[in-house]
Amino acid sequence: MKTITRREFLTLGAALPIVAAAPNNLSSWLPRLTVFSPQGIETPGDILVLIFQRGAMDGLNAVIPFTESEYYNQRPSLAIPEPKIGDDLTSIDLDGSFGLHPALRPLKDIWDENQLAIVHACGSPDPTHSHFDAMDYMERGTPGEKSLSSGWLARHLETATWENGSPFRAVGIGSMLPSSLRGSVPALALQSIADFHLGGRIRNQALVEFQTALSDLYQTAPSDEMTSSISEISNLSNAADLTFNATGMFESAIEGEYHPVSGVTYPESPFGQSMLQIAQLIKADLGLEVAAVDIGGWDTHVNQGSTEGQFADLLSDLAGGLSAFYHDLGDLSKRVTIITMSEFGRRLSENGNSGTDHGHGNVIFLLGGGVNGGKIYTDWPGLSPNALYGPGDLDITTDFRDVLGEIVQRRLLNESLDEIFPSHTNWKSLDLVRTG
Amino acid sequence: MEPLNRREFLKFSGFAGALAALSACQAEDAVTPVAAATLTPSLNSYPSSQVDTEEWLIQQTLRRITFGPCSEDIERAREIGLDNFIDEQLAPESIDDSEMESYLTDLDALNMTPDELLELEDRRQAILTLVKATLLRAIYSKRQLYELMVDFWSNHFNIYVRKNFAGLLKIIEDRDVIRPLVLGNFHDILSGSAHSPAMLVYLDNAQSNRRHPNENYARELLELHTLGVDGGYTHQDIEEVARALTGWSITDFRDEKPGYFHFRTRLHDNDEKTILGQTFPAGQGIEDGEQLLEMLAEHPSTAQYISTKLVRRFVADDPPASLVSKVAQTFTNTTGDIQQVMSTILHSEEFRTSLGTKLKRPFEYAVSALRITGAQTSVERSLGLFLTQMGQPLFHWVPPNGFPDNAGAWSTTTGMLARWNYALSISFNATRDTELNWDDLINGAVSTTDVINTLSSRLLGAPLSDDSQQVIFEFANKLNPDLQTQAIGALLIASPQFQYR
Repeated sequence: MKTITRREFLTLGAALPIVAAAPNNLSSWLPRLTVFSPQGIETPGDILVLIFQRGAMDGLNAVIPFTESEYYNQRPSLAIPEPKIGDDLTSIDLDGSFGLHPALRPLKDIWDENQLAIVHACGSPDPTHSHFDAMDYMERGTPGEKSLSSGWLARHLETATWENGSPFRAVGIGSMLPSSLRGSVPALALQSIADFHLGGRIRNQALVEFQTALSDLYQTAPSDEMTSSISEISNLSNAADLTFNATGMFESAIEGEYHPVSGVTYPESPFGQSMLQIAQLIKADLGLEVAAVDIGGWDTHVNQGSTEGQFADLLSDLAGGLSAFYHDLGDLSKRVTIITMSEFGRRLSENGNSGTDHGHGNVIFLLGGGVNGGKIYTDWPGLSPNALYGPGDLDITTDFRDVLGEIVQRRLLNESLDEIFPSHTNWKSLDLVRTG
Repeated sequence: MEPLNRREFLKFSGFAGALAALSACQAEDAVTPVAAATLTPSLNSYPSSQVDTEEWLIQQTLRRITFGPCSEDIERAREIGLDNFIDEQLAPESIDDSEMESYLTDLDALNMTPDELLELEDRRQAILTLVKATLLRAIYSKRQLYELMVDFWSNHFNIYVRKNFAGLLKIIEDRDVIRPLVLGNFHDILSGSAHSPAMLVYLDNAQSNRRHPNENYARELLELHTLGVDGGYTHQDIEEVARALTGWSITDFRDEKPGYFHFRTRLHDNDEKTILGQTFPAGQGIEDGEQLLEMLAEHPSTAQYISTKLVRRFVADDPPASLVSKVAQTFTNTTGDIQQVMSTILHSEEFRTSLGTKLKRPFEYAVSALRITGAQTSVERSLGLFLTQMGQPLFHWVPPNGFPDNAGAWSTTTGMLARWNYALSISFNATRDTELNWDDLINGAVSTTDVINTLSSRLLGAPLSDDSQQVIFEFANKLNPDLQTQAIGALLIASPQFQYR
């Protein structure tokens, strides 16, 4: 467990009273300009980083089943060659049956350290091939059901037994929040740490007064005229409240430009920079518990490419960002679990435009100190015509909720799986991660 | 206030008019404090019986059916009555908009042919021109409801302008499909979209062929453009639609003029198809697709789906079922006449009782601040950049479903912070392309209380609660007097009340 540094101690002392509020207390409006500092708050579980690959990643070309002849038969122009030592443009052998796409090479040393696990033929059992329905089902954790509006991560935070009033408890990178974080626990949408402050031509005391008055207006709004229903306006008030809290904390906790540890370079891409910001939040010890990041562009219907090209570039960005983050965190990665997911996979056979259409089963990557890594977890359904699902897709033999549920239980130390994944019953133990 | 330097002045005068002509709105007589004091709308926005209902309705209705009312709009509605004002906005061709159009004359890219656009060296600049034109129209057009409809259909048929050269061709689609048809017949706009090179490139149909039909456009055509995801189709239907649309492509650089719709007979699957239970006989060629679009436009699921979306856009995040069914009935009875559909929505009781409850999207928020204050702007880069920070970079939404239309998506921390910084920026005239004249707006008010009352009724169209008024009063009194008016204005534009329409 952490010890409190001298700087943290001073910050804590200056910011009395420390608020260890119940999740919903953030809306109760405390005097916000007193900088609230959760530095040193101990949450028992890991920090979870959830990466969502929007558009449906082609899992069959990310983690290649290179012993399957049907894979090569159905993908004459897209298939990744089977592993060949000394040839960088072939799959990277993992266990004699599956190989990484060569663009994922930066993940190989994490695999070798047994801190990367792969779940294959995994996903959401709902048959939809609609991006939007599939993403929604996954992020809310309720395949086939549209009645529950909150996200699974939000329900995890709602049901956690510990308290953490930090505005940085849950963070989504971007100007909008992913559905997984939508719920009664306010989550911070953060585009850029450096730009997260009020600015303009008024400065100093006038700006402080402006912020105070604005806080007060948002506080009184729920009882004000001409505004919307109470729940809606309180969302806005919560967002305002959280913003003021967070700007205050950034001022005290984050100084100057962020420098990753030497030897680590994050990709310049939006994804790479998102990962850098999460690392910065973790190192600043601001009470972060869950962070959600998007990486888009995976809907490769046309000119997907094989060992090189569009899809390879996406994987390269993904692996570069993950690897930089992992190495930048160093020892801190022992208390971090990273999950990648995507709404569904892509069809086995390539289409007429050197691309792939919407499929079903896919791959999840898990990284972190508590991961039983160096192993592919799969009840492999095979790729023969009668093993395929629907219009010709890889079948799903592992429900994504079994993966998430085990992480919630063992790494995030939350036992409320019935509330987080309410419709899931036949839980399957996978032993992907260690307890504690 | 900052004087314009010579270069900026030239930029302004490039808009074929004097700087003054660029003011979105002339100074308006604000709602008088006396009338305002009698307005005490309930939490759900609809005023109780003893208040000046008509004036309140004008103020709030205009906040819903325009990007923010300028003084001329308010005066016009008072003069001819609200129902007539709505009908006038529903007949945009009856409204003279030549002044706004004169601001667009220098934007050459708007008038180019597809092949001319594709020859441009600086394609990015052409896309920025479309963004600029869209903002200028939203800010200065007198056909405000029309511009809101353009925004609606542009999101319904979303195209991400960075996908290959779809971006350039979006300029054509905006000009030749969306803008002429936003209040026309649904089949026509659907068909226009299906034939538009921008859409065919964006959703990959341009490359679909009979041996390997590409399902991307076929799926979104059913899911997002017509029937809706629960509209009663199967995966088999998607495959058959994809086959029916094989060959719907565009001319490319090997053809004489690239960038036009082109049906490639040799790539078309000419065998029989069955879609939604209906047989499409073999040998129909392009007629497969034409017949399909007619069938989809007339399908009851489409009436339901489009009506739901329009009611969500113009009434409430959770569309009232009573209104949706009335609107769908109009859609069906008129074979998809959007003008009639909109009339049903805007003259409904559900519409009136919902006023003031929709959270503005960033585009609406940013433009409303300029229109309501009568700001002058030449729309250089800063407005587009602010929209990006707020989360709504125009024409840059990647997936095909368009920007979200519910408050939950927009009430985020970064989004709110960007709105507040925008409010501070325009109120203190911090960007060089935009100028806001507070002296005009306070209309001679001197005391702090009068300034607050005048500005709040002007900006919000309704009085503040006592609590909010008190907060602003105390804030103003802490400031240096020469900052007061601008700071009160900034606070009102940043306020929760100003976020709704």
